[in-house]
Amino acid sequence: MVRLPWWMGGILMSGLLLLTFSVFGADRPIGASTYVPYFADIVFNLDPEKYSYLKEIETAGAWEGVMLLGALFGGFITSIFITKTFRISLIPSGWKKYKNNSVLSRLLWSFVSGFVMIIGARLAGGCTSGHFMSGMSQMAISSMIFGAVVLVSVIITGRLFYNVEEK
Amino acid sequence: MDIKIITEGEDFASRIVQMFENVIHQGHGSLALIFLIGIIFGGIIQYTRVDKFEKIAGFSMLKDTIVPKMLFLAVGLTSIALYFMIEAGWAHYHVKPILWQGLIIGGILFGISMAIMGKCPGTGPVSIAEGRIDVLIGAIGGLFGGLVFTLYYDDFFKPLMGESLGKLTLPELFPGHEHMVVLIFGIVVTLIAIAIPKVEMFDEEDLKRLPDEQRPDRQ
Repeated sequence: MVRLPWWMGGILMSGLLLLTFSVFGADRPIGASTYVPYFADIVFNLDPEKYSYLKEIETAGAWEGVMLLGALFGGFITSIFITKTFRISLIPSGWKKYKNNSVLSRLLWSFVSGFVMIIGARLAGGCTSGHFMSGMSQMAISSMIFGAVVLVSVIITGRLFYNVEEK
Repeated sequence: MDIKIITEGEDFASRIVQMFENVIHQGHGSLALIFLIGIIFGGIIQYTRVDKFEKIAGFSMLKDTIVPKMLFLAVGLTSIALYFMIEAGWAHYHVKPILWQGLIIGGILFGISMAIMGKCPGTGPVSIAEGRIDVLIGAIGGLFGGLVFTLYYDDFFKPLMGESLGKLTLPELFPGHEHMVVLIFGIVVTLIAIAIPKVEMFDEEDLKRLPDEQRPDRQ
């Protein structure tokens, strides 16, 4: 499998974080969850005058929105030309192995978990990128609290939700 | 800072153009640079394969540790370099406030959904870009999540997040010893990344496309 080792990924990600933080780059952290309500507001055509949250996230949402377009493009190019892993699929192999074979079940759980994920990220004020990577790099106490809660929550859910013993 | 928005209109196309205008005028890098940051971000995630279900859901089952190893390494290295960049005036702090209720309730919900979807909001789009329809459905769910959050922010979600206890960083807790705290934090986190035992869950669909000698599970 064509891929970078984890330590190379960590070093590159660190370089990207520093570039983004620096005044020569964007002078702000990397974040990847504010764009979701921002796009929701565009898709559902909400009136920015009516909702205070829209005003709060306008700048960060637009910034992350453009970054996300770049990430889609970068991921697409890499998957086609470098890792050659582009393929249309409806259900991950790991889901079949540890959960079930039902496409409908996977799609429903995806929809529900996507919904809950954004509510959770916005309540906490960040996600894996904004809190875990950018926040903990600044040694922010808020991000360490978030990181610890998420780690515990992920591991407990994994235990309960999947049939951890192979079928 | 006032951001000049020239484009009028409330239809979908105008609002996309307004997004670009907003970014151009907000002073956080040029449009091209931000797009490039996104490309590199997506490229790193794709090239290291951490966007795969088997990596994040695999971690939730403790059958894969690539994601925490990579995350902790990135944090450990960045924390030291960033601190000295900030001291030199080359970067600024952007610390998020401590909202106990928001962080704990949000963190629990986020963790549950991350384990089930096997993605997070940063890796999800990269998965969609490589053709994962189930994640696209998840993203549509996310859009509805964002909609509900915006609609009920003032009445429900903002009170739920609780009072802010301000912005605080670890070095601020040890006045006079900031540099030592930064170095210890950075080194300890980096060592944690190295010390986490490397276990991996692979996707058969990816493996069976490879010749035997290239399969990472047979090496």
